[in-house]
Amino acid sequence: MPPTPPNAVKRAALAAIVASIVAILIGYAAAFVPGGAPPWAPWLLAIGIPASIGGIVVLGASRGSSGAHALTIPIVFVTATLAIGFSLALALPANESATSTLWLGLPARAAILVYGIGILPAVVLPVAYALTFDAHTLSAEDVDRVKRMAADRE
Amino acid sequence: MNAHFTLLQTSLPRIAQPMVIVVGAAYFACVIAISVWASRRTKTTSDFFVAGKGIGLVAMTAAASVSGFAFIGGPGLIYAVGLGALAIVLPASVTNVMGAWVLAKRMRLLGEARGLLTVPDAIGARYRSPKAQGLAGLAILVGVIGYVATNALAMGVVINAIFGVGLGWGIWIGMGITLAYSVAGGILAGIYNDVFQGALMAVASILVFVYILVGGGGLGAMSHTILIHDPQFLGPWGKMTPLAALSLYFVFSMGSLGQPQGIHRYYMLRDPRLLKWYPLLKTFALILVLLLFFGVGIAVKAFVAGGRLAPPATPDQATPTLLLNVAPLILAALVFSGVAAATMSGVNAFINIGAAAVTHDFPIALGRKVSHGLAWARGATAVIALAGALIAQFSGTMVAFLGIFGWGLFGSTLVPALAIGLNWEGATPAGAIASMGTGLVVTLALETASFFKVFKFPAGVTASAVALVLSILVFFIVSQITRSSAAGAIDPDVRLIMEM
Repeated sequence: MPPTPPNAVKRAALAAIVASIVAILIGYAAAFVPGGAPPWAPWLLAIGIPASIGGIVVLGASRGSSGAHALTIPIVFVTATLAIGFSLALALPANESATSTLWLGLPARAAILVYGIGILPAVVLPVAYALTFDAHTLSAEDVDRVKRMAADRE
Repeated sequence: MNAHFTLLQTSLPRIAQPMVIVVGAAYFACVIAISVWASRRTKTTSDFFVAGKGIGLVAMTAAASVSGFAFIGGPGLIYAVGLGALAIVLPASVTNVMGAWVLAKRMRLLGEARGLLTVPDAIGARYRSPKAQGLAGLAILVGVIGYVATNALAMGVVINAIFGVGLGWGIWIGMGITLAYSVAGGILAGIYNDVFQGALMAVASILVFVYILVGGGGLGAMSHTILIHDPQFLGPWGKMTPLAALSLYFVFSMGSLGQPQGIHRYYMLRDPRLLKWYPLLKTFALILVLLLFFGVGIAVKAFVAGGRLAPPATPDQATPTLLLNVAPLILAALVFSGVAAATMSGVNAFINIGAAAVTHDFPIALGRKVSHGLAWARGATAVIALAGALIAQFSGTMVAFLGIFGWGLFGSTLVPALAIGLNWEGATPAGAIASMGTGLVVTLALETASFFKVFKFPAGVTASAVALVLSILVFFIVSQITRSSAAGAIDPDVRLIMEM
């Protein structure tokens, strides 16, 4: 039986993974040039890492031909959160000092990293996963089908 | 990244005092009691390798959450290089859900349909390729030996700090206890010891964090003190380059999908539908435990900058120095005992998957069938444990080299073939084998060249990251070239699970 062609969502996810991994590779390769990594090299990782994570999550969350529509909002939200968080940490001026305004106890760029990248996705993604689990990820019928298949195989 | 994982190999201060020794002895007595109980429930190879596929959600959540690195090496790394070190643990906010969507459901269902025992089993089933299964087993065994040796040394360091018995005796006492419960109780003993020590460490982590916040006048006050003396410390990348910190994030996020000691446990869950709450509970538990990682690193820097604490002699001494000066002794004793127990649990998990590769995956790859599987599994467990302890004691600096590449090796060899391959029907056996071979060869070649100073990476680039990127690209390229062979390469039951 020939492999089932991937649906549009899976194709997009695969394309995102390949493109982001190539971007990350270019970022690393740029570090080998004399004089060290150019300023744009970390930007390739700052965008490539969230894109690769988003791509592989979409690939894993897709079911057959139905894609991952129910999960579009949380996955896009988290991918964007990571990309924006890394970008802000790179783009904002490195002016931390004793007079810096603190956000929940940390200077702005550190707060973006700790609370934006370290905490926010931890709140959104697991909740989205649990809320959509029965309808989208694994129903009791799915488990029964696999158990029947295993019994038939024996 | 190399230095990050060798931090635990330096010496810790001796904290052997009656209170610490009593708490440590009580802790180990509990570990032994749990192991005796687990050994009575271990009767088959399935019990030994996948806990009889009968563990509940709480045990699954607590199992193998955090290694001793999170309590000693991690805070020390923050103290040394600033907030950039957080790039190792920040991925925890996404990796549990990522693993659940990408791997957990399909691996658990494959386990249900095929009775799988090992991570390479899933690769063998996906590609109908014993060769791919054997190669995955080989990659795992290479990484396991390194991890076991490094953790054996870490056990020796911590046990010596608690009991003052000397490093050599520390290695053998730690490995002796671990070996006893690994041989008798298999992975089941490790899991229920993880539940015990994970729960205690979560409580200890919260208490330490509270003590730090109260003692330091709050996070804002500590940040203010640090900003006066060393503002770069509280930049998002700390004293690392942005490329280096982002590279750590990449390796510890994407690479998490290839860590057999974690993903192997998906097979063990009693009911696949319990996976619904697993990412939420696991992420919450990890954040609790990582409070200590974050809090201690920041607090030591602030206390030293403010003149309240003498600078620790080495970064590894950040945690003990702070605990012995700020927290009650019993809390310090609890953390130290927990570090020893966490390291022992880690060794148990690695020995177990190494033994599975030797007694289960290699025979399948060679077309052999092993009779008396449980006896062979116990024998292989003993051999791997002894090899790890001997390497730890006698190999000198070589043990540091062995400990370096485990995470990267697992990531580069298993992420493409397993994490992408289980979700993409276009992946081919040739693509899987080529990517695993690439991960294995590139990781070993680059790490060896780097260790022996034949070659020096530019700042921000690591062998683990390069190997992971290359193995993923090779996987796609070779699968594309050999896509005609993908036709009929997936069994119907595996295809059904991939489409779910």
